[in-house]
Amino acid sequence: MTEKKKTRFLLVADTPGHTTGYYVVARALREAGIEVILGGFQQPSGMVEAAAQEDVDYIGYRIMDREPRLVVSLLMERLKERGLEHVQVVVGGIIPKQDIPKLKAMGVGEVFRPGAKLTDIVAYVKGHAPKSAGSA
Amino acid sequence: MSEEEKLREIEKAQEEYERLAVQFFSRYPQVRERRTTFGLPLKSLYTPLDVAGGDYLRDLGFPGGYPLTRGVSPLGYRAKEWTRRQVVGLGTAEETNERLRYLLEQGQTGFSVCGMGYAAYESSDERSLGILGRGGVWIDTLYDIETLFQGIDMEQITINQIGESVAIFAMILSEARRRGIPFANLRGTIQNVVLPGGEGPGLRGNHGVDVVEYCCHNLPRWNHTSVSARDVREQGISSVQEIAMSMYGGLCTINAALARGIDIDVVAPRVTFFLSAEDEFLEEVAKYRAARRMWARLMRERFGAKDPRSWLMRFHVQTSAISLTAQQPLQNVIRSTIHALAAVLGGAQSMSVNSFDEVLAIPTEAAAILSLRTQQIILHETDAAVVIDPLGGSYCIEALTSQLEDEGGKLLAHLEEMGAEKAWAYIWEEAHQAGYRRQQAVDTGERAVVGVNCYMMEEEEEKALGLDVGQVFEYDPTWRDKQIARLEKVKRERDAQKVEAAKKRLVEAYRARENIVEPMMEAVQTYLSIGEIVELLAGVHGLDELEKRHGFYLSFLY
Repeated sequence: MTEKKKTRFLLVADTPGHTTGYYVVARALREAGIEVILGGFQQPSGMVEAAAQEDVDYIGYRIMDREPRLVVSLLMERLKERGLEHVQVVVGGIIPKQDIPKLKAMGVGEVFRPGAKLTDIVAYVKGHAPKSAGSA
Repeated sequence: MSEEEKLREIEKAQEEYERLAVQFFSRYPQVRERRTTFGLPLKSLYTPLDVAGGDYLRDLGFPGGYPLTRGVSPLGYRAKEWTRRQVVGLGTAEETNERLRYLLEQGQTGFSVCGMGYAAYESSDERSLGILGRGGVWIDTLYDIETLFQGIDMEQITINQIGESVAIFAMILSEARRRGIPFANLRGTIQNVVLPGGEGPGLRGNHGVDVVEYCCHNLPRWNHTSVSARDVREQGISSVQEIAMSMYGGLCTINAALARGIDIDVVAPRVTFFLSAEDEFLEEVAKYRAARRMWARLMRERFGAKDPRSWLMRFHVQTSAISLTAQQPLQNVIRSTIHALAAVLGGAQSMSVNSFDEVLAIPTEAAAILSLRTQQIILHETDAAVVIDPLGGSYCIEALTSQLEDEGGKLLAHLEEMGAEKAWAYIWEEAHQAGYRRQQAVDTGERAVVGVNCYMMEEEEEKALGLDVGQVFEYDPTWRDKQIARLEKVKRERDAQKVEAAKKRLVEAYRARENIVEPMMEAVQTYLSIGEIVELLAGVHGLDELEKRHGFYLSFLY
């Protein structure tokens, strides 16, 4: 039996500032026993770099100012190039409702919009056991 | 009967009242204790006993007079209305200019644009993907600032620069100079603040102080500092923390200016503040009054400021965003109205009311107009702006004002003892904890939020009733192409020789630690872009160092 690995969650943001939700979510996940790595304000290529270095299971992408479809699509592309398709992307923030199906079609696991409950976010992350990089 | 005897009489009567009240309350077990945001009990009744020991002339005085508790102007809003200053910022300078002019036509009285200098790279850079115009206006060069101000009289309006970008500041001044406006006639504010840590080789703090110094010498009517504790308040902290952090931020600017040899009575009159307006209505009114009194006392007693203008704490309020809800969003109109009323009763100089749809996107034009109308209704239809400090003298408001001042003073002393680096970290740690506690309280229902944890409604029902948000602002992806074309045009047409000379001059000034404002003006006047400027300056001291030091705030730095 291998020891159960702690879920690793990289939290990143599309722009600086407006960080309330970012830190609130970080704390909620930490309290729930998830290892949260604060990646801060990053470009998709930087996120992927950090995800590889930190060997994370999730990237949580806080989107405030950017057009979600454009930046998420770029992030997915970069993950694929790096062979990190197993990293589950979760998006939260100012996301138009009509974008949700489009983001999910790109491979986003879940989208949390304003009004989301912390318990729902935690339950989602805990409920999706991390897939290890080596498994088929 | 002496004052003391009277108080004893009241005390006796109050004891009797409390005995009855306790009996009465025992029949209502559902009545819960309420606390202020800073954790002290909020009583169900305040009486003269709560303000005993107060002294009218010492603690309140008259409007416009020390200690300014009752307001900064002797005539209140009757002589000088607060500025209706809705935040605008979308697309390129063209779209923002269009909306701004429409709002001005509709009775907006101040200029406030967000997004200026937000990003440290050009519109054509791959890092600007999807951001252009979605979170504020996009500015590359002086050409964009020229467009932004088209058809707007820079002498007639007070100009608020959101963010502290020195390049943007230099662009605004350059545009005024091009129009032949003497700097002495310009009125405005830069959201500049000297961070704890102040000055040192290669630190951003230098530029903050440069702006203060430049304004003190050249722009007598420009507010060189706007201490924003609202950023931190919006993370979920209390009113006491908001006050203490405001004072602390203001003192960082004052101390840095004094260290450069600027007189207290030159720097202090142009320090302004940026506060929030939260749900706790009574506490908020008291907060503005307490902050005003604290600042006046600090300036006069600690710094020996003699000019009465140095004692004035003037502030802009942007109503709370953290209180607004995505559920049943039309309700946000009501929330923002209550927030705005607190700011007016607290004596704000300038205000921006958040729009009901801002939880979802940039406000639509209709939502922005509704916010402006909220301000106009309070001003013209109600009597709230007729009487100066109308809640002054209320036992509750005065007791809360004093409590806030006392608690705020304790926290301020604590921050000052800690020293700059630790205080900054402490503030943010407190903020993050507070934000988490607040969200938990909402999630568990401990903090009631209508439509979120009580009186909920399915989205379908909302829609069927017509209570949904309706049309939401939509991002236009062609804005980026348009902006890139604007930047390309500028680069084609600008004088390459002048650009090179300005670059050299800017780097020299930066290395030599000269005041950066004039060289920055020379640089932007050659149509050097913000992206180019950041790259240039980062080349001198290294972007990484700056990034590590300031983390999230990097893109506001230049």
